[in-house]
Amino acid sequence: MSMARRLMAVLVFGVCAVSVARAQDRSTVAQQIDPLGRLNEGARYQIELLLDSARVAGLPTAPLESKALEGISKRVEGRRIVVAVRMVFRSLRDARSVLGTAATADELNAAASSLRVGVTRAELAHLAQTRREKSVTIPLVVLSDLITRGVPRDTASQTILQLWQRGAADDDFLGLWRGVERDIVSGTDPGVALLNRAREVPPRGPPSPPESGSRPEGTENRNP
Amino acid sequence: MTEDDINSLDPDVQWIVAEARRPVTMDVAGRERLMEAVRAEAQPGRGALEWMFSRRTFEIPPFAAAALAAGLVGIGVVSGLLFHRDGQQADRPRAEVAEIPQLPGSIAPRAVKFVLIAPQAARVSVVGDFNGWDVSADPMTTQGADGTWTIFVPMQPGLHTYSFVVDGTHFMPDPAAPMAPDDGYGHKSSVVLVGGSSL
Amino acid sequence: MSSDAADVQRVLNGDVDAFSRLVDRYYERCARFAVRMLGNRDDAEDALQATFLRAYRSLGKYQERDKFSAWLYRILVNQCRSLAARRNQRDRVFVREEALLLNAPDRSPSWTGEDEEFVQRVLAELDPLLREAFLLKYVEEMSYEEMSTLTGVGVSALKMRVKRACDRLRARWERIKDD
Repeated sequence: MSMARRLMAVLVFGVCAVSVARAQDRSTVAQQIDPLGRLNEGARYQIELLLDSARVAGLPTAPLESKALEGISKRVEGRRIVVAVRMVFRSLRDARSVLGTAATADELNAAASSLRVGVTRAELAHLAQTRREKSVTIPLVVLSDLITRGVPRDTASQTILQLWQRGAADDDFLGLWRGVERDIVSGTDPGVALLNRAREVPPRGPPSPPESGSRPEGTENRNP
Repeated sequence: MTEDDINSLDPDVQWIVAEARRPVTMDVAGRERLMEAVRAEAQPGRGALEWMFSRRTFEIPPFAAAALAAGLVGIGVVSGLLFHRDGQQADRPRAEVAEIPQLPGSIAPRAVKFVLIAPQAARVSVVGDFNGWDVSADPMTTQGADGTWTIFVPMQPGLHTYSFVVDGTHFMPDPAAPMAPDDGYGHKSSVVLVGGSSL
Repeated sequence: MSSDAADVQRVLNGDVDAFSRLVDRYYERCARFAVRMLGNRDDAEDALQATFLRAYRSLGKYQERDKFSAWLYRILVNQCRSLAARRNQRDRVFVREEALLLNAPDRSPSWTGEDEEFVQRVLAELDPLLREAFLLKYVEEMSYEEMSTLTGVGVSALKMRVKRACDRLRARWERIKDD
C-alpha cells in the first residue's frame, strides 16, 4: 500500500471511527435500553424463555438475541421471529452436543449454521473429530456457503472433509471459496466448480484415503 | 366498593386470597447468599447500558493514533465485489488483514471496511449482529458518481453475520463474502470472521 | 426523593449496604409472590436471587419517576416466568413440602401448614398466566394499570385473566370440598 493511500485510509478511518461512534450513540440508545421492546408480548415472552434456556444450558445467547433483533429490523411478524430464534437455539444445542463443551462460540455458531443448512450431525462430527487441535470455524463457514450457493450437500461435505483431513489450512479454504464463487458467478455448475477448485488445493498432511468416484467431465471455467 | 374489591369475590376465593397473603418463611441463609453474590459483583454504573452492543464503543489510544498517522499499520478490509450493470465481474480490491498492534490483541476491536457498488441506490447501510441489525446505526457514504458505498465499522474479533440494506428496506448479502444460510426470514446474509484470516 | 430512590443513589455511589436495605424492604414481599407463583421455596429462592442480582446490575437504569417496587416487580415477574418455563412448572405435580409441615412455627390457631399446602396446590393448578394475574391483583394488591405496565398486557386482558382465575379456583374448591 503506497504511503499516499495509507494516509488517505488513515484519514478515512479516523473520520469514520468518530462518525460511527456518534451514530451508535444517537441511533442505538433507544434500542439498547429495551432491544426487544418492539416485539409483541407473546413473542417477547417466548424469546425471553429461549434466552433463559440457552443461559441455563451454557449456550451463547448472543446469536439468539441477534436473530430476534434481525427479525425486528426486517419487520417480521412476531411468531416467525420466535420460530427463527427457536431454530437457532436448537441448532446451537445440537452443535454443542456434537462439538462438545470445549467448542468456542465461533465454532458453535459456524457449526449451528451448517446444521441449519442441512449438514448432518454425522458429517459435522466427522469434521470435528479430525484434527481436533485446529479450529473448524473456517471450513464450516465455507461449507455452509457452498451449500447455500447450490453445491449439493453431500458433495460439499465430502469435499470439505477430505480437504480438512489432508491438512488444508484456513487460507486454502478461503482460496477455494473465492475460486468457486467466481466460477459460479461465471455460470459454472456449483458442484462442478467445487470439485474443480478442490483439486487445486495442495495436500499438506499425510496422504488421504483413496478418493471415491471418478473425475467429473466438464470444462474448467476460470477467470484469468 | 368496586368490582375489584376482594369482598366482591366468592367467599371461598376470598379465603384463598387471605391465605395467600400470609407471609412466607424463607431460609435466612438464602438472603445471606444473595448479599454475598451482590458484593461479589462489579459496582453498577450510573447509566450503564447492559446491552451487549454497548461494549462496542471504539476508542483509539493516543499511541495507536500516532502509529496510524505514521502509516505504520494497515486496516481491515472486507471488499465488495464490483458489479457492472450487466452483472459482469470487474477487478476487486485486494483484502488486507487488520492489526492494531499496540492494543491488547484478543479483545481489541478491528476496523472493518465494507464496500458495496450500488449506483442506483439512494442510501445504503450495513446491519448485523454488531449493531443490533439497526438500519440507522451504520449508514454508508458514497463519494463520487460511480456508486461506491463504503463504511468502516469497529468490530470485535470473531464470527459476525451481516447484510447490506439498500434504500432502507432491501436487504441483500455482500456479493464478496461467504453466505450465511437463509436467515429464517427469507433473505440470505453474509459472514465475516474478524481478526482471523482475511476473507 | 423517596427512601428507595435515595438508597438506589447511594448504591450507585458505591454504598453496597444501601442495597442491603433495599433487599430488606422488599425481600419478604417478593418471596411471598415467588413462592405462591412457583409453588415451592427452592425455586422461589432461585428466582429471588436472580431478581435481586439483576436489579443490582441494572440499578443504573432505574429512573426515580418510576415506583421502585413496580420496577423491581417487573424483574421478579419475568424471573418467575423464566424459571417456571425452565422447570416445566406447568406439568409439575405440586410437591408436598415436608419441612414446612414439620417445622411450622406457632401461628394463630386457624393457620396450619396444611392450609398453606392446600392454597399452593390449587394455585399450582392454575395456568401460570392466570395465576400470575390473580396474585398480582389480589395478593400484591396492584391496580390493573400497574399490572398492565408491569406485564405489558392490556387492562381488559388482565381483567379477563383474573376473572378466569377466580372462576377456576371456585370450581376447584367445590371439587376439593367433595373429596
